This record gives sequence, structure tokens and C-alpha cells, in this order.
Amino acid sequence: MSEKGRSGLADNQTFDWHATLRSRLPIGAAILLVWAVAIEARLVHLQVFQHEALAARARRQQQRTAETLPNRGDIVDRNGRVLAYSVDTESVYAVPGDIDDPTAVVTAICGALADCDAAERRRLVERLSGDGAFAYVRRQVPPDQARRVKVLELEGIGFLTESRRFYPNRELAAHVLGYVGVDNVGLSGIEASYDEEIRGKKGSTLIQTDARHRPFGSVDRPPTAGATLQLTLDTQLQHIAERELRLGVRANRARGGAAVLMDPWTGEILALASYPTFNPNLFQDAQPGARRNRAVDELYEPGSTFKVVTASAALEQGVVHPGDMIDVRGGRIRFGSRVISDTHDYGVLSFNDVIVKSSNVGAIKVGLQVGPERMVEYVRRFGFGRPSSPDFPGESAGIVWSPAKLTDSALASVSMGYQVGVTPLQMAAAVSSVANGGELIVPRVVRSIVRDGQRIPVERKVLRRTITPDVASQLTAIMEDVVQQGTGEPASLEHYSVAGKTGTAARLVDGRYSRSEYNASFVGFVPSRRPAFTLIVVIDSPRGSAGYFGGTVAGPVFKRIADAALRHYGITPNIHPETPVMVARGGSEVPDVSDVAPRPVSAVVFDESRPRAVTDGRDGFPDVRGLSARDALHLLANLGVTAELRGSGVVVRQGHEPGTDLSGVSTVVLELAREQPRRPEGDAASSGAMP
Amino acid sequence: MFERRLYFHVDWAMLGAMLALCLLGLTQIYSATGGPTDTYFTQLYALGLGLVAMVVCLAVDYRSLTERSLLIYGGIVLLLVYVLFFGAVRGGSRRWIDLGAFNLQPSEFAKAALALVLAKFFSESRRDGVSRTDLLTAVALTAVPVLLIGRQPDLGTAVTLLPVLFIVVFVAGMPMRVFAIIALAGLLVAPVAWQFVLEDYQKERVVTFLDPEQDARGAGYQQIQARITVGSGGLWGKGFTRGTQGQLRFLPVAHNDFIFSVLAEEQGFAGVLVALGLYLFVIMRAIEAARLSKDRLGSYLVLGVLASFSFQVVYNITMSAGLAPVKGLTLPLMSYGGSSLIATLAGFGLILNVRMRRFTN
Repeated sequence: MSEKGRSGLADNQTFDWHATLRSRLPIGAAILLVWAVAIEARLVHLQVFQHEALAARARRQQQRTAETLPNRGDIVDRNGRVLAYSVDTESVYAVPGDIDDPTAVVTAICGALADCDAAERRRLVERLSGDGAFAYVRRQVPPDQARRVKVLELEGIGFLTESRRFYPNRELAAHVLGYVGVDNVGLSGIEASYDEEIRGKKGSTLIQTDARHRPFGSVDRPPTAGATLQLTLDTQLQHIAERELRLGVRANRARGGAAVLMDPWTGEILALASYPTFNPNLFQDAQPGARRNRAVDELYEPGSTFKVVTASAALEQGVVHPGDMIDVRGGRIRFGSRVISDTHDYGVLSFNDVIVKSSNVGAIKVGLQVGPERMVEYVRRFGFGRPSSPDFPGESAGIVWSPAKLTDSALASVSMGYQVGVTPLQMAAAVSSVANGGELIVPRVVRSIVRDGQRIPVERKVLRRTITPDVASQLTAIMEDVVQQGTGEPASLEHYSVAGKTGTAARLVDGRYSRSEYNASFVGFVPSRRPAFTLIVVIDSPRGSAGYFGGTVAGPVFKRIADAALRHYGITPNIHPETPVMVARGGSEVPDVSDVAPRPVSAVVFDESRPRAVTDGRDGFPDVRGLSARDALHLLANLGVTAELRGSGVVVRQGHEPGTDLSGVSTVVLELAREQPRRPEGDAASSGAMP
Repeated sequence: MFERRLYFHVDWAMLGAMLALCLLGLTQIYSATGGPTDTYFTQLYALGLGLVAMVVCLAVDYRSLTERSLLIYGGIVLLLVYVLFFGAVRGGSRRWIDLGAFNLQPSEFAKAALALVLAKFFSESRRDGVSRTDLLTAVALTAVPVLLIGRQPDLGTAVTLLPVLFIVVFVAGMPMRVFAIIALAGLLVAPVAWQFVLEDYQKERVVTFLDPEQDARGAGYQQIQARITVGSGGLWGKGFTRGTQGQLRFLPVAHNDFIFSVLAEEQGFAGVLVALGLYLFVIMRAIEAARLSKDRLGSYLVLGVLASFSFQVVYNITMSAGLAPVKGLTLPLMSYGGSSLIATLAGFGLILNVRMRRFTN
């Protein structure tokens, strides 16, 4: 348009700018609308089609589930003494992404820990470098170290509470208990086989985190605490068994050994020892092989102790009778090129004496008469060839040949305890069945499971009848003779009759029977009539002055363990009983007792102040008087009762009378004092009773 | 001065839509910051002050107001110079004048001031179209505040001034071929600018925009988080105060630059449609006001004010949807920011002013 004066042609000029405006405004509006459509499309794409994926991604970055580990249950012995418990420890972790200078941080941490070596420093620097979100610095550190690291207040260093297993008695019963890995999972022993029970149920925490990984809100599912396991073990017997086994192994310069002490009537294992042993608190540092439980893992050829099985089969099947004479002249028997010999030429022996003198030739002759089918049947009846107890993970089944494979030579071997593989525990269970009159009872080490204050006892389980009571008593008589007149003489006790059998078996070394390595074993039960204990002792490769015979090597160990156990349990002596002390009625003078032989006094002073057992609360409030604060608290904790302690020492007074109703009680006041006061007369009977 | 009948010509519909957007923004700030925080109340007071400013800008006839446009423009430029030397520093840039109770950000007001001065300038142009001298003058007028704001540095706000010049020149009749030339020149200059002008962090923004996953924890982080936030809202959203992305700070400055993403997360596609519709409605009503204006001055003023507003809306929403590089540009009316809200409402006071005086002389 031409240039015009503003005043003259106002209309024209108005039209002019307006036209431009009107023609150009729609362009802008159109662009805006196109944009709006594009954005809508984008939003539909994101919010409708990609919604699921993006929402999941949001959740992923905002939430993480943390597992809350439950408190692992305690393991206690049959009297409630604690064998294993869990403590909370702290673990130090790092967020490598938040650490700018790993070397400086590691230097600071190591300064606080005060015990890292150069290799660990290098490892730490490596682990803390980079962009990760989580790395352990060190797990389960002692409280003082954790505190020292904490005060540094390092950026990117945090602390986690983790549960750590602690075994207050160190090596005691290590093989039975097993141990727990750093992730709170049982790796061996009872800790592994009852892991699910002890571990409890994991809780979970859904944690919302913000962009800086700081926890924000959380939703909790609390964990369920693990059950307390009460074992059949008796801490004191276990201690004695371990001590005597250790002494026996060392005295005989042996490679190792195992001992199992059990109640033949219930199958409860009172002590189970294996040597060499280890400290489960530091199980990683154990010597190679020390963690192996020889009582259940190690297969050995039992040798003569297995003649009990041969004899059982022969007697019950009527192949022989106890008085029958068996010709073992020459002391040798030949199978093709193989010659098996006795240690002496016994001439003609009665069947009893074949066992008592442990004549191989005699046992073989009897075994051949029994025949392979019946022999194997009896071997299996006694529980050989399959794991004997569910309580031990990885227990060996043993090796039993099928009858079809048993040539005469092989059958001869089996008859005297070769070419079969058994574990000491299997052997103990088998002999227990002789002891109890012919019932094979599953050996077990768990007495009860205490869950949520409820005690669930483990039932005694009879597997089958092995032999008739008649045969059992015939065998018992033979085994008594073994100890009284035969090879088992070193195991005899002064005041108790012992029934037992020795075993001396050459070890297979590189496929050949060694002439220098033997397994010396002794298995038996005491007192022989109405026995209280079955005990087996196996010593691996003795090289001491006592030789390598089961009687001379394992016998004394058997004797010492059995003796201590009998005294500890206050079993009445059944031979050479004490003459009762006569006191004249009304007489005032004290009789002269200086020439009376002292009664055997229990070597172990029975401390009646210890808790009897884990109480289940069915009998009302327990009597905790006389207990230490720690024992009382433990016992009460099992019932869900907390205690308020006053004073120190042992409990002298309790807020709730023994036997009062437990329901509704959550706290009890316990008064403690240094000196243990005399108990009132009436209490002694109820709390001092022996099991 | 304020005649009673003018009251009836106020664009109540547009005003309502704007207020709705302000309230929507307030609720989202409430939600994103986790309740009635200082941030929320600051925004509430700013809304009150903004409405006062709006009434002031609406009361005075825009024609008498533009008489003083140079004065206003000069005042703002002085303030910008003052800020450069004495401004309060936050986040590495000097943008604010500390007034004790609150911080004033003069650059926000520069938009309206520039619109005023450019409208005034082109409305008085005697020639049709835009002559070279006109253009140069306009560019100079724009360049002064742009450079001053760019020095703070606040590139985002500086860039929002350019659409004011662009739109006013456009509707004032600048030949289309000039735009073509500018576009071409831009294409040629871009590589040079890339090499010599842009800072490293700015280059990084562009690179990560093209492929955000390449650096998901670093520079691409915000863009990815914006996408996750919007997407996780779905069709109907997670509900008021239920949004987690903003509250857990995965999305940085959620109540500010990414308020639209927060809205998308909590109110879903439905809520976003409402907000988008309101913005489009406001912009369309303003364009109509420009069309209806009885004089050039009014039209240019409306479009000048609208230009920076629309540019910010478009850019911010595009960015919130993860389609543009992340840049510190707020969403006017909704985002947190007192000066921005007051300045925006004052600007719209001018738009309402023009529209309601379309019948007066």
C-alpha cells in the first residue's frame, strides 16, 4: 500500500493493518492447534499405551522390598541349657555411588576397625570405587568396632543389623549343632536339618525410597520368630564323652574317633562326640575334616561288633543254640586263595565262646549256615543300609550287599563284619535294640520343638522288631561274657554289669586291607540288665602302646564314659552293692565306719539349681528360685514372660508363686541375692528329682 | 476513568479459565510439596498480589498506559542492570532483587514491558509493513533486555522475550520471505553456535534430549523421569496427593518446571486434557481479543503479551511430556513462582484491558 497521511485516510490505514493481522493470525492459531494435537497424541501414547510399563518402572525405582530376618530360635540341651543362640550384630555397608574418595574412606574405616591388613584395604578400595548402590564393607562386626566406625559419620557408609549365631560352649556338641552361615542359613548339623523350624518366617518391609535412596514410608509384615529346639543331649554327658574321646584318641595317637551315648529305650541321643572337633563360632577356620561328624558321616567296616548281627540271625533262626559246639580248630578257613584266620587256635568253642573270644572262623561257619538271604535280611532288620535318623543331614546310608551278590567268601566277610559299611550311629541303634529286648528305635537328637511358647515333643518311634526278647536276652548274656571273660574286659565296670562287643577291623586303604590301620571299636550297654545307656566308641587308626584292638583301645574309653554317665544319672549299682549302713535304733553312739568302703560318689556334682527343662507352662508358673538371673530370664522368656530384676546374684524370691496360673502374666518381679538361701524343706523333693 | 459499563465487557470466560488454571496449579503445588508448606502459601499470596496487579493494569486505559511505555521499559532495563550488580544469587545465577518479604524477579516483568514498547512502536509506524529501520529498532529494543537477562544467566527467560518481537513483527506485516531468510540463517548459524557459543552443559542438554537413555542417571535423568511420571498417571491418574514421582523427588523441581508432569501423574490423561483445554481456550480468547481490538496498538499489545505466554506454555508442556530438552522454563499460571504469576496476571490485565475497551474511544 502506498504511504498515506495518518489523519487523511484513517479508514484506509485501519483496513490495511487489520487485513495483515487477520490474514496472519490464523497461521499462528493453526500452528498452535497442530501442536495441541501432537501433544495429545504424545500423552495418549505415554498415559494409555505405555502406562503399564512406565508405572512399573516408577514402582521399581521407588520401592524395594527388604526382608526382615526373624530371630533364629535357641538350641538348648535336655535340661534347658543354652547351646546356641542368636545375637544382633551390625554390618557395615557402603553406597559406592556416594563415595567420592574411596581410598580416604577406606583409610578412615580401617583406622576405626583397627585390624584390616593391606590385602583387605586393597579389596575395600576396589569394592567402594564405582557407582554401585550397595557393597558390604564388613559383616557382623563387634559392637566396639561398629561404634568406632559410626562416630566417623562417613558419607555413603551405613549400618545394617544382622543376626549372628553364637555358641557359648564353643566346641561342645559342635558336630550335632552344626553352624550357621552369614546369611542366617543353617549349613550343617541340627542348624541345617531343622533350619526351617529354627529360622522362623521372614518378614518383609516394603520400603518406598526417594530419589536419593532415602527410605520414605514402609509397610511391614513382621517376621515370625524361629522355634526353640530342645535337644536330647545332656550337656554334662556330652562334655564327658568329648573329653574322654579326645583323651582316648590322643592316648592312642589315633587319627580321630566317634562316640555315641544313647538311651536304648527311647532312642534319645544323650551325647554324640566326634574328634577332631571345631569351634562353630569360627567354623571357617576349622581344620580340614574337623567339621565332619564321624558318628554319622563316616562309613566303616565294623568288624567283630557286627557278629552281634550274625549271632542274632543264627539264634533266632535256630541255626545254632548258645551251647552248641563249633569246631574252629586250626584257626583258619579258606575260600579259594583267601585265608581268614583267628588270632589263636581256639580248638572247639561253644557258640557263646565264638562271640566272647571273637573267633572269626566260628562266626564265618555260623554265618555260612545262616545263608545269604537270611543274613542280609537280619542286616537290614537292624537298620543297616539306610540312614538311621532324620536329625542328621547327610548321614550315610551305609553299604549292604544284596543277597544275590553274596558269594560264600563275601558272606564270610559279612559274618565277621567286613564288606558292610555302617556308621557308628547305626551300630549304636542296632545294639540298642538288643538292649531293649528287640525293638529298633529311631535314634534322635531333638527332644522337642518349642514354638510360640508351645512345646511339641518329638515322639519315640519304634521302627520294627529285630529279634524276639528271648534271643535278645541270650545275646545279652553272651555280651556280658564278652566283658567279663572275653575281649571286652577293659570295659568292665566295678559296680555295674556291662554287655558289649569289641571290634577290630582293618581299614581299607587304597582298596586293600591295611596291616597297620585299624578301626578299634567297642559297643555295648550298661547296666546289662535293664540298661540305661547304649554306648559306642570308635577309634580311627590307633597307633599307641595299647595296640589297635577294640578291647584295649576303645574299651577304656567306653568304660570311662559309661561310668561317668551312670554316676551322673544316679543309676543304682547292680553288682557289688553297698551294704546298707546299720544304725542302732535309739543308740546315740556313732558307728565306726572307717573300714567301710566308700560308695562311689558321683564324679559330677549335680547342681540342683540348674533349670530342669524347658517348661511349657502347663504346670503353671515355674519355680525359678535358685537360678541365676540369666537362666531364669531364659526360662521365663520361653514362656513369654519378662522379668524385672532386683539385686544381683541368684533368684531368692519370685513375684508369682510356683504353680500359679500363667495366663495374663507378662512380667514377674525377681529378687536376687548373692548367697543362695536354704530352700524350704518341701521344695527339695520337687526340684531335686533326677530324671 | 473506570466506567461502569466497561465492567460488562470484561472477558469473564477467559478470566475464569485463568483462575481455574491458577487454582489447579495451587493444588498441584500443594500436592508436590507435601501439604500446606511455605511454597504453597507464597504462591497463594502471589495469586492475590497478581490479581491486584491485574486490576491495576486493567483499570488504566491501555492507550494512556502505552504513552508511558518507554518509561516502563526504561525502568525495567534499569532494574535488570541493578540485578546484574546487586541481585540475590541463587543456584549460580543473579536474577532476584531481595525485597525482604519476597524476591522480585524483574526479568518476568520485562516480557510485558517489551510487549508494551514494541506495540507502541509499531502502532505508530507510518509505513505499512515493516521497514528495515523499524526492524532494526525493534531488534535493538528486544536485544537490550535479552542480553541483560542472558547475562544473569537465565537463558530460558531471555529466550521467552524473542517470541514477543517475532509475533509483533509478524502481524505488523513483515514480509514472509524475511522469515524464510531468518530460518535459513538459523540453520547455517546453528553449527557455529554449537561450536563457539553454547556452554558444555547446554550442549549436553541437547545431546541427551536426542537420546536420554544414554545417560539415564545423569543429564537424561530428568527427561526420563518426566516420561515415567506422566506415563505412570495413566488415564485417570493416581489421585490428589497420591503422586509419588514428585513427592519422592525423582522428578526434580516438581512444583516448578515439572508441575504439568505432576498433574499428569495425579490426575491422569483426563486432568491433563482439562488443563490443556483451559490453556488453549485462554490463548484463543486472547487471539480473538487481538482480532477485535479497535486499534493497532491494542492488537499488538495483546499479541506481544500473548507471545511469551504461549511460547512458555507450549515449550513447558512439550518438555513435561518428554519431547523437548529440559530447560528451566516454567508453566505460566500453574508453576510455582511469585514474580512469574504476578507478571503473567498483570500481562493478562493488559489483554483484558484491550478487549473491554474495544468500543471506547
